Amino acid sequence: MRYLLLLLVIGLQSFYAQQTLLLDSYGSYNSTGVRRQVTDAFLYGGLIDSSQINRSLAQLQKRNSFGLQMGLNAQWQSPWLVSKDTKKWASGYRWTFGAGIHQYAGLQFSKDLFGLVFQGGLPSIGDTLDLSNLRAEATIFSKIGFGFYQPSTQSSFLLHFVAVQQQLGAVLQDATWFQDPSTAQIDLALVGRASLGGMPANAYGVALDIDYRFGSSDSSENEQQFQLLIQNLGVARSAQTNTYNFNGTLAYAGFSLAAWQQTNLDQLASGFLDSLGYQNTKGPNWMLLPAQIQLAKILDWGSLQRLEAYYGAQFILRQTYTPLIYAGAQLKVTKGWHTGFGMAYGGFGGLRMQAYSAFRFKRSELLLRSDNIALQNGASLYLQFRCDF
Amino acid sequence: MKMTSLRSFGILLVALTLFSCKKEATRWQTDWLLPVLNDTLTLNQYYNDSTLSINGSQIDVNLSRTILDLGLSDLIQIPDTTIAQQYQANFTVNNVSPGFMFVNSIKTHELDLGDIQLKKVRVSSGQIQLKVYNPLNTAVLYQIELPGVTQNGQVFVQNYTVQPGTAQNPTVATESINLSGYDIDLGGLQGLEFNQLQSKLTLKTDPNGQTVSIYNNQVFKFEATFSNLRFDYAKGYFGAAILAGQEQFTLPYLDQITNGSITLPELSLDLQIENGFKMALRAQIEQLSATNTQGQAISLNAPSIGPSMYLAPAVGNWNTLQPSTLNLHFDQNNSNIKSYLENLGAFQQISYQLQPNPWGNTAAGHDEAFANSHLRLKVSAQMPMALSADGLTLQDTFELNLAQDLNKTHVTGATVLLDATNAFPLACDLVLYFMKDGQILHTVIADAQLASAALGQIDPTDGLLKKKSKIKIVLPPALVADLQDLNEVVVAATFATTDPNTGLAVQQHVQANAFLALQLQLQLQTQIRP
Repeated sequence: MRYLLLLLVIGLQSFYAQQTLLLDSYGSYNSTGVRRQVTDAFLYGGLIDSSQINRSLAQLQKRNSFGLQMGLNAQWQSPWLVSKDTKKWASGYRWTFGAGIHQYAGLQFSKDLFGLVFQGGLPSIGDTLDLSNLRAEATIFSKIGFGFYQPSTQSSFLLHFVAVQQQLGAVLQDATWFQDPSTAQIDLALVGRASLGGMPANAYGVALDIDYRFGSSDSSENEQQFQLLIQNLGVARSAQTNTYNFNGTLAYAGFSLAAWQQTNLDQLASGFLDSLGYQNTKGPNWMLLPAQIQLAKILDWGSLQRLEAYYGAQFILRQTYTPLIYAGAQLKVTKGWHTGFGMAYGGFGGLRMQAYSAFRFKRSELLLRSDNIALQNGASLYLQFRCDF
Repeated sequence: MKMTSLRSFGILLVALTLFSCKKEATRWQTDWLLPVLNDTLTLNQYYNDSTLSINGSQIDVNLSRTILDLGLSDLIQIPDTTIAQQYQANFTVNNVSPGFMFVNSIKTHELDLGDIQLKKVRVSSGQIQLKVYNPLNTAVLYQIELPGVTQNGQVFVQNYTVQPGTAQNPTVATESINLSGYDIDLGGLQGLEFNQLQSKLTLKTDPNGQTVSIYNNQVFKFEATFSNLRFDYAKGYFGAAILAGQEQFTLPYLDQITNGSITLPELSLDLQIENGFKMALRAQIEQLSATNTQGQAISLNAPSIGPSMYLAPAVGNWNTLQPSTLNLHFDQNNSNIKSYLENLGAFQQISYQLQPNPWGNTAAGHDEAFANSHLRLKVSAQMPMALSADGLTLQDTFELNLAQDLNKTHVTGATVLLDATNAFPLACDLVLYFMKDGQILHTVIADAQLASAALGQIDPTDGLLKKKSKIKIVLPPALVADLQDLNEVVVAATFATTDPNTGLAVQQHVQANAFLALQLQLQLQTQIRP
């Protein structure tokens, strides 16, 4: 990616025709109940103390979600026309080239599972823990592609070649854990499935990025301009995916002396897996990429109104993601500085405060946005940079 | 403008770099309770198997063991032996016509069996390998006959046609024959000798072959190799060689006693010597001694220890064979057997002599042994299963391999929880010594005693006196931190049969169907490092 950016910077200095560089990076994580300090320990390292775990547990509902998204997109909108024949429709479009890397991780889990993982089994002895409806999805992929864009509307269409670096999908439909307070016997029931791509995943595919602008291009016409942004809409095929299935129950109350003397730990572990109906299969697999669909009102630098509303909605093609909606008011502070403040709901978290600031320079624009400025159970930062040269 | 663009781009890169910066490991503490052991120790498997028996509400030791068992093959053996017979002409014989028989002779072979003089044996297993050499330039018919070797009345005869060879490179034919079930008469031609085996070689030139000459450098030969012979019948004089033995053996568990003492109830022990051979036998137990782990040795003193004892020959034949026996009884009236056993000698040593025919060949070579003939030494003991133990300490060392990587998920604290129900009249104190290369680094003492059943109450469901105990053994953090360095743990268990009223060690009887139910759990504090 570093080399790609360097190439783009060199390219930026090489061309004098009208062309544009778009950089779009984002990083956000959020949860419906897990406190930010717990997540931060995973991102920055450190000890998760028991008080944070207890406070998270107090916030958690029976069903919860957590997710993380990170990514970087770069697009160079070239000055080259798709067709120089003005009679053809393609004469209104120019070639564009893009690349990016994205990471998506989503998790839906029960409060009991969080307690078991972060506190251990001892505090919940005697209680039946419901671990059902666990769903985990994680994908890391990179892409490179080309397409065309319409300078007048800024709409674009790109086709990407995609390489998936990591892929995980796991579902635990039904799972319970019970430990007897007198004998410490562990009763575990599992019905679930997990698929894991290899490292590297050896999965390749194609994806579409569509940026469609509609509505008035000038708010002076008293109409709004909207953006329908579809990113990473595509599929990939993994040459080899490991699939693990569980469907069974385990009751473990310790072994006899003879069993400890005659059996080694590997055999004991194998016996556990057999009890849980463990099966492992390998084979090729198709996967849907985490496509992102966003419909939003576009910031209008030419608006005459000093205060106006902004709003939008976002959806990701993943079961662990809840559709995100946001709305707020934006203020035109100066001609080159707009800022907005609003609320967002959905994604991986609940209702939270959102804010952004956009700066317009002579030939460039910079936008900073956070969907969680109060750092409520997470953090969020979006950076968008546009440069015309 | 370019500078502005690059500055903004730099800000973006710095922000992304900070976002992905991870300075130390993510970690958190969890607490787990893991069941490890769930078992009930009983003596059930020893009931009615010549070890223990139930006598009303108590258990009796009713031990019966064979400590020496010699069979016919142990006493009478013929080492692997090769006999050979050959023919070599003194002068050249020309124009030998086809079908000419030129050798027909019997040879007697002496077997070297020391002072054993066998007249007859029957082979239960073993084989003979025959090897025949033909130096003549025509095929030769070999007939090998062992006149004393028969099966169902048929004499052992083997015929071979051996292809032509030369004096320098005779043709060799080889065959291996199973001798199981053959009778071998070793009495010689008249049947009055012993250890003698006969062979007869007959040679005839090929009736369909050519006329040849037999030269004096041509050696016609056969070799018969007897190997791995085992017998199920032997007759003769079995010699008077003394079988002297000195056996040393270690009694299990007693070698782990490091301290304390026991007192046993009145008991008796019997040794039975059994002679299943039809020959006289002298038996002598020269010494029986035991040394305990403290180095204290004691010898068993009794009138029957030391002097020679004589056993008459067995009577009967085959299925009607009746061994002669000699019983040696040891009890408190005629021996120090109680002191001998209470010494808890782990290292036992017995010296003995067994001598067949102590008065020589008085049976005139009519000793006999059959398939079921044995010389046996059996021991049996009877006593109530009761003892008085005072500080009886069993100590055993186990290898420990609990190395853990502190940079990964690891245990930071551990407690062993033992939940026991004891129906034995023994209390037990546990101490663990954790060692590195033989040096004790940590000593951990259980917080409570595994209580004796004598302190409990009778359970109406099974009528057994039993006592429950909960024992906690906390492994201190310093020990857990050293786990990766420790390589041995010594478990010391000190037993006592303490009277609940007086606190003194008293003799306690083991209840019938006594058991010790154990549930061992491990409480772990674990630092998770994903």
